[in-house]
Amino acid sequence: MTKVLIIGSGISGLTCAIECASRGISTILVSPFPSERAQSVLAAGGINAVLRTDNGDSIEQHIKDTLNGGCNIAGVKAVTGLCSEAPDIVRWLEGLGTVFSRDKESKIMQRPFGGQTYPRTCFAGTSTGKQIVTALVMETRRYEGKGLIERRFWTDFYGALIKDKTCYGALLYNEATRTLESVTADAVVIATGGQNRMFSKTTGSTQCDGYAAGKLFEQGVELKNLEFIQYHPTAIETDRKNMLISEAARGEGGRLYYEDGGKRVYFMEDKFGEKGNLMPRDVVSKTMYETGRDIYLDVSFLGKAQILDRIPEVYDLCMKYRGLDITRESIPVKPSVHFFMGGIAVGLNHMTNISNLYAVGECASIYHGANRLGGNSLLAAVYSGRTAAKDIASRKVEQEPSDWSEFASREQGRLEAIREAEGAVFSVHIKNMLRENITGSLGIVRSEKEIDKSIEVLDHLIDVETSGMVRYDSSELEYFNYSLGGILKLGKAMLVCARSRCESRGAHLRSDYPEREESFKKATIISYDEGEFNTRLVGEDAYEG
Amino acid sequence: MRVKILRQNNPYSKPYWQAFKYDGDMNVSVAAVLEYLNYNDDVKDENGHHADVISWECSCLQAMCGGCAMVINGKPGLACDTFLRDLKGDELVLEPLRKFPVISDLVVDRGIIQENLKKANAYIGEYEHDDKYSQDLEYQIGRCLKCGLCLEACPNYVKGVNFYGALFANDSYFINARRKSDKESVKKNYDEHFAKGCSKSLACEKVCPVNIPTLASMARMNRL
Repeated sequence: MTKVLIIGSGISGLTCAIECASRGISTILVSPFPSERAQSVLAAGGINAVLRTDNGDSIEQHIKDTLNGGCNIAGVKAVTGLCSEAPDIVRWLEGLGTVFSRDKESKIMQRPFGGQTYPRTCFAGTSTGKQIVTALVMETRRYEGKGLIERRFWTDFYGALIKDKTCYGALLYNEATRTLESVTADAVVIATGGQNRMFSKTTGSTQCDGYAAGKLFEQGVELKNLEFIQYHPTAIETDRKNMLISEAARGEGGRLYYEDGGKRVYFMEDKFGEKGNLMPRDVVSKTMYETGRDIYLDVSFLGKAQILDRIPEVYDLCMKYRGLDITRESIPVKPSVHFFMGGIAVGLNHMTNISNLYAVGECASIYHGANRLGGNSLLAAVYSGRTAAKDIASRKVEQEPSDWSEFASREQGRLEAIREAEGAVFSVHIKNMLRENITGSLGIVRSEKEIDKSIEVLDHLIDVETSGMVRYDSSELEYFNYSLGGILKLGKAMLVCARSRCESRGAHLRSDYPEREESFKKATIISYDEGEFNTRLVGEDAYEG
Repeated sequence: MRVKILRQNNPYSKPYWQAFKYDGDMNVSVAAVLEYLNYNDDVKDENGHHADVISWECSCLQAMCGGCAMVINGKPGLACDTFLRDLKGDELVLEPLRKFPVISDLVVDRGIIQENLKKANAYIGEYEHDDKYSQDLEYQIGRCLKCGLCLEACPNYVKGVNFYGALFANDSYFINARRKSDKESVKKNYDEHFAKGCSKSLACEKVCPVNIPTLASMARMNRL
């Protein structure tokens, strides 16, 4: 393949672009904003890799921890690939200039994270994602200079160009001209992140709204495991969002507790022993939820010097947004939506069920099963970008030139109709209702009753949207208007997946089905067929064989 | 509280002032005020007339992405990092950054930042780790948001034609410290596009939301 179109310029999109360009493939990298605005910059804690074995650690153990952490529904082959390449990935990132924290002997430092048998999270202070983005942006610039990567800003995804289950490019919305443009390519890579914006307050970016996945779902792309939504145990609430208190705070020794009659109860240690504070995230969030108490995280005993040296960003954000001095006071924490284990279903090569259409990073679902381990998301972002690029480079197929102008002009007509629509229901109200319902029914613990109620509301909202009853705001960018339909479909798909999994596993806890069931030791696949949302359970071979 | 915003529908239209009434929580950031005005209900100006949605750039809401850089009561800052409690007076005045072309309302085109870094070949190429450089300073520089506040505050930066500003000086040090060869071309570009034009007001340091010590980068680059 000689021409690739990548949608999204966070860590997975940047990595894929670099790895394509370094193989001589002409790459267009599209995003509304520069990479510095991507959610990747919020990833704090680190990236997992086995860099030493003298302490007993091994790649096999990393694989085992990842599979166990994901409650044994992720594919063994996929996870083996991820963990085996991790040491090389860290060295590659280092070679691009990522400022990893180092010990006195100048070796990359590693800290323990949840669910790990040995400490294997490499880190750059508590801004690992940001430092990786800085390095990748620079490397991308190198290929821009060579003419191999073209970056397009102020550009949004509208839809894929799909015919007979093959992708030929994408329709893009140019914010400057407010028009649609079809761009053909031998392969299209979706790297658009999760769907934080669908919930009221999360730790993520407001840019991650899930539209691309929702639109592709409508266009026949299968999605997977949407019910598994990670609640990070330690977020601090502020007026506009929940801010992440990195797992690094517990990796460095931070302790969770609640107060009972003036005494501190270290409930995680009481229940799980010495490593209690560093259990996998699903276990910590569940246990916090079950206490029914206000929970605090204490790091003050580490001392000011260690706090400022090892978790400086945690200190800064608590001080700035809550006026809290964590060297003296405990942090009030609560679980918050943080990551989506589910997303676009992909095979080992990161191709979707549509030929030549790939998905990478958080919007793809493959490695994390029912619960992701801290430090594995940055790893998967880089690994998936690389894996897709390798597969693209290995394929000899070059697409015949195809004409999509008629399709583009038809969709342009739809855009104009949206601009002039004078329905009765304001789009902002639809978005608020969606957020309220998804947040309310996809909490840490769910039940069929709540999910059904939400599905009923979503069905109504989808009806309103498809029957032209929405009043869009003409002063908004069209993106915010045309994206509504796709976002609503993804919202319903998440609910349908959550209803279909009648068991409790990892991040999916059902009050009406509290036990884990062997018959559900599989992935949920959901597909869309003329308004029908169909789910099925599949084993590893369906997508990873 | 009265919120006065310098608005502009598109890059080619005339700017105009419009005022809004904000009666929400006062213990919040400017970003929260903008979200409140846009999404709490239908957007209305202070006289109760329908108003267009206020455009502004936003992603992280916690001073880690640099999207919401704007001029707040006359001073450049991040909307999510500036709090009503710290502002003087009972009026909030918001304007787009003045050194970049306006796209709409408070959204500006900062593409020149990326363009200039590209022109100056601001990349590492072949990497070499060398302990003689400051890991701490490199870490600080690695956190640069490319928000443009240092350029907005700088008395020497105009449109980025020749002088590329503090963010370029910092990236120059970062690249120089981490690349194996051809450090001379980094220094040459630094001299040409920064050192020659900088009058050392250090307004860039004062306004930087992640506190990058530009003076430290300059001191090290000037020594080469």
